[in-house]
Amino acid sequence: MAPPSRAPSPARAKMSLFGTTSGFGTSGTSMFGSTTTDNHNPMKDIEVTSSPDDSIGCLSFSPPTLPGNFLIAGSWANDVRCWEVQDSGQTIPKAQQMHTGPVLDVCWSDDGSKVFTASCDKTAKMWDLNSNQAIQIAQHDAPVKTIHWIKAPNYSCVMTGSWDKTLKFWDTRSSNPMMVLQLPERCYCADMIYPMAVVATAERGLIVYQLENQPSEFRRIESPLKHQHRCVAIFKDKQNKPTGFALGSIEGRVAIHYINPPNPAKDNFTFKCHRSNGTNTSAPQDIYAVNGIAFHPVHGTLATVGSDGRFSFWDKDARTKLKTSEQLDQPISACCFNHNGNIFAYASSYDWSKGHEFYNPQKKNYIFLRNAAEELKPRNKK
Amino acid sequence: MGRKKKKQLKPWCWYCNRDFDDEKILIQHQKAKHFKCHICHKKLYTGPGLAIHCMQVHKETIDAVPNAIPGRTDIELEIYGMEGIPEKDMDERRRLLEQKTQESQKKKQQDDSDEYDDDDSAASTSFQPQPVQPQQGYIPPMAQPGLPPVPGAPGMPPGIPPLMPGVPPLMPGMPPVMPGMPPGLHHQRKYTQSFCGENIMMPMGGMMPPGPGIPPLMPGMPPGMPPPVPRPGIPPMTQAQAVSAPGILNRPPAPTAAVPAPQPPVTKPLFPSAGQAQAAVQGPVGTDFKPLSSTPATTTEPPKPTFPAYTQSTASTTSTTNSTAAKPAASITSKPATLTTTSATSKLIHPDEDISLEERRAQLPKYQRNLPRPGQAPIGNPPVGPIGAMMPPQPGIPQQQGMRPPMPPHGQYGGHHQGMPGYLPGAMPPYGQGPPMVPPYQGGPPRPPMGMRPPVMSQGGRY
Repeated sequence: MAPPSRAPSPARAKMSLFGTTSGFGTSGTSMFGSTTTDNHNPMKDIEVTSSPDDSIGCLSFSPPTLPGNFLIAGSWANDVRCWEVQDSGQTIPKAQQMHTGPVLDVCWSDDGSKVFTASCDKTAKMWDLNSNQAIQIAQHDAPVKTIHWIKAPNYSCVMTGSWDKTLKFWDTRSSNPMMVLQLPERCYCADMIYPMAVVATAERGLIVYQLENQPSEFRRIESPLKHQHRCVAIFKDKQNKPTGFALGSIEGRVAIHYINPPNPAKDNFTFKCHRSNGTNTSAPQDIYAVNGIAFHPVHGTLATVGSDGRFSFWDKDARTKLKTSEQLDQPISACCFNHNGNIFAYASSYDWSKGHEFYNPQKKNYIFLRNAAEELKPRNKK
Repeated sequence: MGRKKKKQLKPWCWYCNRDFDDEKILIQHQKAKHFKCHICHKKLYTGPGLAIHCMQVHKETIDAVPNAIPGRTDIELEIYGMEGIPEKDMDERRRLLEQKTQESQKKKQQDDSDEYDDDDSAASTSFQPQPVQPQQGYIPPMAQPGLPPVPGAPGMPPGIPPLMPGVPPLMPGMPPVMPGMPPGLHHQRKYTQSFCGENIMMPMGGMMPPGPGIPPLMPGMPPGMPPPVPRPGIPPMTQAQAVSAPGILNRPPAPTAAVPAPQPPVTKPLFPSAGQAQAAVQGPVGTDFKPLSSTPATTTEPPKPTFPAYTQSTASTTSTTNSTAAKPAASITSKPATLTTTSATSKLIHPDEDISLEERRAQLPKYQRNLPRPGQAPIGNPPVGPIGAMMPPQPGIPQQQGMRPPMPPHGQYGGHHQGMPGYLPGAMPPYGQGPPMVPPYQGGPPRPPMGMRPPVMSQGGRY
């Protein structure tokens, strides 16, 4: 394969001239060198350096046990990269590991010494940051889509969800899983806050697990959404215990669902998001997939990112939207908050929402960092 | 609302009385719900059309329109959207609407595209299907109200008695039940395992035969429920207490204070019976979740829930961007809504809905090679500028891509990579040189060969 003929200039941030060679042109940026209409960073957020070369599928910040902030990103270029994010906003690439297939999910151990990575190569790895070595710790029969580290009072393990319709739990020291749970369908997304885990699968499957003593299925829930599940995030109550989750679909909608609400009909609800404003005009409304949901660790408000290239902040208790960003020229494929909620990271890269035809390998992929301390404060309750 | 129109303000379905915003949506609804052949899932346009199709193609007769309310099942009436509706039914409908608007002051539900809303815009039903369904649908309703029957929820014990009195007010429909609870609660259930459980009913006090009386109860349940674990159940639980107490219950040892309150200022246990259902494994567990040290508790076998995996093929269906067709093959499951909808008013920016975006993308040959991707992957890049932080000498390296000199011994990574400010591959020696720069990664400076690095490296050299 001939090397991409991009000039190695540092000003690569510009929309390259190659944006139109395959006839895409729809990015909205002029390709004739002018950067004034460049929409790759309309929010003027901090750009992470040395961003991956292909779409970023997952982002994760280090836990509070590590001093400082370290960001991990997995991409379709098969790599997992680690940066240190300094308070000044400076991002320093630290290290990288490889899989033999695109990396779909990453997570940290609770003590911040390990990073777990899940890949299309059907394996998951444990990356010891101190030694910078990564070893395989899990095996599935199909790509591993989700990975979470569970730290329970009486056990610790890695939970992997795969398209092979299983949820497996691994003691990193053994090649045999500690437990295998069958899923009704391929695992599409999952989240875990001890002692609760939620897995959403293909065909709108939705299962809640309880993790005390050992993981077991708690309840299967009839999906509150009518379209394919895409992302899920657990939220906590005022006592900091997990109490429900937010589920996003490909139909520009998020459902807020409590596990044991006092009044389910009133407490659970859905809201629409990531749609072009089409209701008032005669043009059809474009409905985009919700690619990621993340809850602010302190305020409990949430962020959603979509294929439309926007992110939005919401207050689920006041049921209002706090903010919507300008539109980026690419979908936003992943997002996450750092441990204290000061930083919101989001990745701008193609998510395949328009199929293969709209993929431009030359297009740069970005990760942006935004100060999230103020914008995610909840609305005052009436 | 606007000016008066001659016919109904909103299109509605004669067969099931549902309202729709748009006649197009109404028609889609009728085609999908009322004029769809139950045998081959072909969507027809009218009732008679469906009848004829079934007769000719499947040699079957049908006598009623599927999913229609009683009285509106006439298969011979040719109704399409709003056309064909008998005049008297129209009048009846108008009268009904007028009644309704008089009763409730017409609050028009603003359907702001980005605001929170309670329900689908397309078809609002008389009660909200979404929140309620979980209760009646798939899972035995009992499971929902979050009563996690916790026979002997650990940590509860002290709080239980005071709670009892508080419960009745919460359960409008259940008064008879309440008193019966304590005794009945003795049912231990590993409801977490046999998840589809009739057991779930227990919470109510276990007296409840799974039955008609329950559903109406649901909404009123919640607050008092979990706690009313019968005292009798408690003693056995004490050993479970230690295990589940920490996280779930959020109750300090002296819970009584918070319990009696009708509203849950105290967190209800999220998975109340979970703790003891697992038979109180308190100590460290081995790699199969069995306790490492001997415990008196009856350890339950790790559950293998017998959930039949769907046998749907995951083969990608032929893709059409934003396709509308509901492929019959794809709707084998009981979940109906796997349709990509395109209508005059909205368009889903998503290829065929059957598989996820990642699955679709992963099918590309380029992502399937078990190799680090050539060309694009700058893995092998010479450690470039940004890595500067790793290099002891330069703390303040500008973050932009400067090609940095320090070439790792791996010359194979020839730096033809355009300005990819190389990401320093993990195995790069320089990383190891810089422990002082990388406080968190202290220890391990000697560069032992990376676990799986070598194979990757060698391939990296290919480009």
